[in-house]
Amino acid sequence: MQFLSGGFVILWVITFALYYLLPSKCQWMLLAVMSGLFYVAGMGSGPLALGIIVTALSTYVCGRLLAENLAAQKEALSHCTDKEEKKAVKSAYEKRRKRLQILHFVLNLGILLCGKYMSAILPFLREGRLLSPVSDAFFSRIVMPLGVSFYTLTAIGYVVDVGREQCEAQENPLKLFLYLAYFPAITQGPFHRYEKMRAEFAREHVFDYGRLASGVQRFVWGAFKKLVIADRLGIFVGNVFDGGRTQITGGIYAVAVIFYMLQLYADFSGYMDMALGVSETFDIALPENFKRPYFSTSVAEFWRRWHITLGAWFKDYVMFSFVMSDAGRKLGKAAKKRFPNLGKHVTALAGTMLVWLFTGLWHGRTVSYLLWGVYYGIIMCLSLVLEPCYASWREKLHIREGRVWSFVRMARTWLIVFAADILIRTGSLAQAGEVYLAIPGRLGIAATIGTLTDYGLGRYAFLLLLFACGLWLFVSICEERGMDVRKRLSALPLPFRWGCYYAVALLLIITGIYGGSYDTAAFLYQSF
Amino acid sequence: MEEKVLEILEEYCEEALTYEGDNMMEEGIIDSFTVINIVSELEDAFDIEIDAKYVVAENFKNKEAILELVGRLLED
Repeated sequence: MQFLSGGFVILWVITFALYYLLPSKCQWMLLAVMSGLFYVAGMGSGPLALGIIVTALSTYVCGRLLAENLAAQKEALSHCTDKEEKKAVKSAYEKRRKRLQILHFVLNLGILLCGKYMSAILPFLREGRLLSPVSDAFFSRIVMPLGVSFYTLTAIGYVVDVGREQCEAQENPLKLFLYLAYFPAITQGPFHRYEKMRAEFAREHVFDYGRLASGVQRFVWGAFKKLVIADRLGIFVGNVFDGGRTQITGGIYAVAVIFYMLQLYADFSGYMDMALGVSETFDIALPENFKRPYFSTSVAEFWRRWHITLGAWFKDYVMFSFVMSDAGRKLGKAAKKRFPNLGKHVTALAGTMLVWLFTGLWHGRTVSYLLWGVYYGIIMCLSLVLEPCYASWREKLHIREGRVWSFVRMARTWLIVFAADILIRTGSLAQAGEVYLAIPGRLGIAATIGTLTDYGLGRYAFLLLLFACGLWLFVSICEERGMDVRKRLSALPLPFRWGCYYAVALLLIITGIYGGSYDTAAFLYQSF
Repeated sequence: MEEKVLEILEEYCEEALTYEGDNMMEEGIIDSFTVINIVSELEDAFDIEIDAKYVVAENFKNKEAILELVGRLLED
């Protein structure tokens, strides 16, 4: 079920109406039931929702067992007198916790891998004649559960947090299900953290007109980004990369990659605006996932502003877990001994590479995604190692900090992202190579301008895109300067305010890209 | 102990010494690379193990929080 579908709007309106009629103690139950309905409707049938049920149940049981283990450890430690005995008791209980967590990870990552990679692995298994007809039929029926990439990582995060004593284990399985399957966030995130969401769901939620208006405004703005900008850009991008044309100029490729960068951002941040807007109407605050990433002056900053919650997840649960593990410590000590200067950075560098390999694999199942992860990992590591040199280089080159230098750094960031996006959009290394060579090799500026309207977008579509992207840029600059645009809009005199609402709504209705039955194209990140 | 901790902070994040707020990690004063380097140096200097569960914004919100964390781990 897409956000921009009649079915979703009906579900949202019914949930909203019942939500504020119910006593506050029951509000979370309604959200849990509606999240279940949304999930079943999204999967198309009840049995296909089995994946999330297995994840929810295993996460619940694992959380409870970890809590029992921690309580038993506390009790055992209270009887210990000397330090060594305490250490031994702690270590024994810790081992049991680790075993439990590994079991949970294997089960849930197994479901994730099966759902996500089975269709990619099957042709190889068939080619190698490794499947009997029965097993082939069985594996062919495995489909990717809706939101599996999101709820699996959320579940793992919860189990790690309970083990680290950063949160209490949930006693009610339905509440844990709500945390994992909360319908505004289940398909594409953001990755919320258990402790914050537990408090959000437990709070009393009272109807507030201002909050409703603000949530709806954000939803409509997200729909505008998706339907007017992202899907229109997608027409051009699709015609260039999937249209089967030959003799495309480097200039057209360059425009298509820039459009793809904007499409991805408008699509995913548009989805986030819709998810956060829907959640805001229920008075449930979800974490922000984007902070105007294209204003970043470095790649590291870009990734602190793009898909923020995924980056934070990998940092907390992969990077820190590795660096502060026995293996990470051993690596660090050995590196420090061998390379006294650079050695101190080795664990951080290894952790960074690990995070980017996982990030690449999480996003896709092809070699291109793996290379995309390696590419960003190397850039992050280089920036860490070279950071001390930057100041002296700037001094030698007489570069002064200021707006011009900030813009140069921003442009450098765009270029790095541009090169990475070619890898993931083209889909094959051969096509990526063709684009990398074509852009500088046969730029053909005159031919590019002459054929710009041959790829699905006419002159008026370009003008409309220019206007919509200009509006988007204007709002982004205002936000970057610290302005709360929605608050400012709400404070405008009534005729102006409603004038703005009508203008955006009309633009959305008249110029949005809709399918044959007025449905919309799927969100790009849904496939990640 | 305090002197050594401040010395490590000075080497990896001088800004942390003058920072007076209480959200160093989220305000970008200290990034994850710096945290890893500081943790590694603290572990070596005081022969302690700083588990991943202690690497949270609360324990790295300012220099006082880091001092308190080291003190707590030394007591354990």
